[in-house]
Amino acid sequence: MTAPSSAEDRSRWLPEPEALRLLSGYDLPVIPHRLTTTPEEAGRAARDLGCPVAMKVVASGLVHKSDVGGVRLNIATAEEAAAAFTAILDRLTPDPSRLAIHGILVAKMAAPGTEVIVGMVRDPQFGPAVMVGLGGIFVELYKDVAFRLPPLGLAEARSMFADLRGAPLLSGYRGRPPCDLDVLATCACSVARIAAEHPEIQEIDLNPIIAHERGCTIVDAKVRVRL
Amino acid sequence: MNPVNVKPSRLDNPERRVLHKAGILPAVNPLYAQMSHPLDAIFRPLSVAVVGASNAPEKYGHIILKNILDAGFPGPVYPVNPKAREILGRPCARSIADLPPGVDLAVIIIPARTVPQALAEAGQRGIKAAIIISGGFAESGGDGLALQREIVEFTRRTGMRVVGPNCQGVNNPHHGLCASWPLLTQPGEIAVISQSGTVGAALMDWASQERLGCSTFVSLGNRSDVDETDVIDFLAHDPHTRAVAAYLEGVKDLERFRRAVSGCRKPIVILKSGRTAEGRRAAESHTRSLAGRDELYTALFRQLRVHRADSLEDLYDYAKALAYIPRPGGRRILTITSSGGSGILATDWAEWSGLLIAPLPDQVAETLRGLLPSHCIVANPLDLTGDATAALYRKVVDTTQAHVDCQVIIFGDPILDAAEVVTPGASQLVIFLGGADVERRERERMHLKKVPVFPTPERGIRALARLFAYDEAAP
Repeated sequence: MTAPSSAEDRSRWLPEPEALRLLSGYDLPVIPHRLTTTPEEAGRAARDLGCPVAMKVVASGLVHKSDVGGVRLNIATAEEAAAAFTAILDRLTPDPSRLAIHGILVAKMAAPGTEVIVGMVRDPQFGPAVMVGLGGIFVELYKDVAFRLPPLGLAEARSMFADLRGAPLLSGYRGRPPCDLDVLATCACSVARIAAEHPEIQEIDLNPIIAHERGCTIVDAKVRVRL
Repeated sequence: MNPVNVKPSRLDNPERRVLHKAGILPAVNPLYAQMSHPLDAIFRPLSVAVVGASNAPEKYGHIILKNILDAGFPGPVYPVNPKAREILGRPCARSIADLPPGVDLAVIIIPARTVPQALAEAGQRGIKAAIIISGGFAESGGDGLALQREIVEFTRRTGMRVVGPNCQGVNNPHHGLCASWPLLTQPGEIAVISQSGTVGAALMDWASQERLGCSTFVSLGNRSDVDETDVIDFLAHDPHTRAVAAYLEGVKDLERFRRAVSGCRKPIVILKSGRTAEGRRAAESHTRSLAGRDELYTALFRQLRVHRADSLEDLYDYAKALAYIPRPGGRRILTITSSGGSGILATDWAEWSGLLIAPLPDQVAETLRGLLPSHCIVANPLDLTGDATAALYRKVVDTTQAHVDCQVIIFGDPILDAAEVVTPGASQLVIFLGGADVERRERERMHLKKVPVFPTPERGIRALARLFAYDEAAP
């Protein structure tokens, strides 16, 4: 195991339900979800939220959940959800007994749309910086992102999306429906506000946000706080 | 006895007379009457002492004194050196304490370890500001760090303004002050701020060579006191400066920088180096792994509407365009050329840079066909072909002026009197190439009448496009 850097020594990732609760408090459109601790609860959650659902293990310090087999997508029925609860914990590497597991998050699957990323980092010299980008290979391969330093107004936030090389993908490329840029810009502004009001938050990664023609859905969120 | 230790009352009158003649005393020049900036003593001093002046021609203590004298500084200049009686024909003071009181500026070129003492003496003698050329401070580590801390503490305690240490000085051609090297004296409207002496001097050298000149040059060195923000604030109020070109390795104080730049209504171009050294570290979030320092500088500059240059040529070209060409009312350009190839190159770069190649209105094309020889190609680009003359250009320029937002005038041959075709302050981009001696002569003429000339279609068009860089386009 490699030693974590000193910055990470003094900080931790919030468990995802806490991160999502923080975002909801700022009216950010997070995916409907519930934290469950038994197969029965998971089944009930799936039924209440409406299938299909996604399930993700929630454990302290476990950030890359899919790398350890902690994520299942497109679960079609409540029964499957109950079975998946057991299956996830059984197959989890490392051994679940060595992780502080809070439970399994059951979340509605978002409607299809365009993947977008919105994030924030706090730089020792610059202070908070807000980032937006196109998800998937656009961010990984092309690093097609734009940064701004708060305070961030709606017009400035919209201009961030316009700055992206892939901007046409958001405004209805080749007959695809255009994305709701006002809502995406509002997300970026809310992230800037969280950064301003919570100096203990070092980093936010909303990745992906699924952008729809009307509205958008945050399906995965990471928030790192200073201890 | 010290020959320069003259009583202030006696010094006052000749000094005033000289300055009066040179037009730099507030009473004579209303331009200066309105201004009083904390950095006036650095950029517009009334008198200068060169501490560490030398008779050895290879030493900076000699070169700088000589440049101050050769640039025609109109006020008193005092060499200071305990071992010399006279340097370059000027009586030499043995020490700072022997100078007349109230000298505005001390240029200090002595070994690093003796600098704090010299500053203290300068403070006691009422010297208002200093430029420390000497190296051997923070940049060399060890004892240098402590010496620089002493300077920082001194400036904080006394309020004396200090440029440097470890810098290449200050040059203000409008004031006859070349406290720097090389000797450059061509006044102009581009101000140069540089964290590197050489990079800034190269820029000023280009501008001087082309007779476009600079309004101010400052090499910031280690920035113990005066930094880019102070200078931007000064230049915002400097009547000679119309654009600022800065080479920076980093911004020293972001908050002050943001305020000063927001308050500066003149265009600022920055070449920020050290863009790749900041290794992106592998991180658990995409945002973190993508947020290198360089991306944050990009964000900062964009939000402050600072133009970011990627190379030294960009820095010069952008500043040149922003200082001298008024922003056209729109993006429709008409290219007028004597070289087909250059016209096509300009068109390519215009398309890539978001400019619009508008077709000539039928009526204008008709008029032009009546005016021009039949082998000229009346289109956009409008190709006058190789035998074009200034008179022919003039006809086209006059006929089309009202019908496009900006004329791109390419002189692609040795066209005599090309300088008479162009108008200062007009919505025109001028490119001159392939004209050899005629080109060099005409370019100089154009620069002297404040029309910037670019050496290639690419460089000209890219610079022109900067004038539209911050027109906001909603997605």
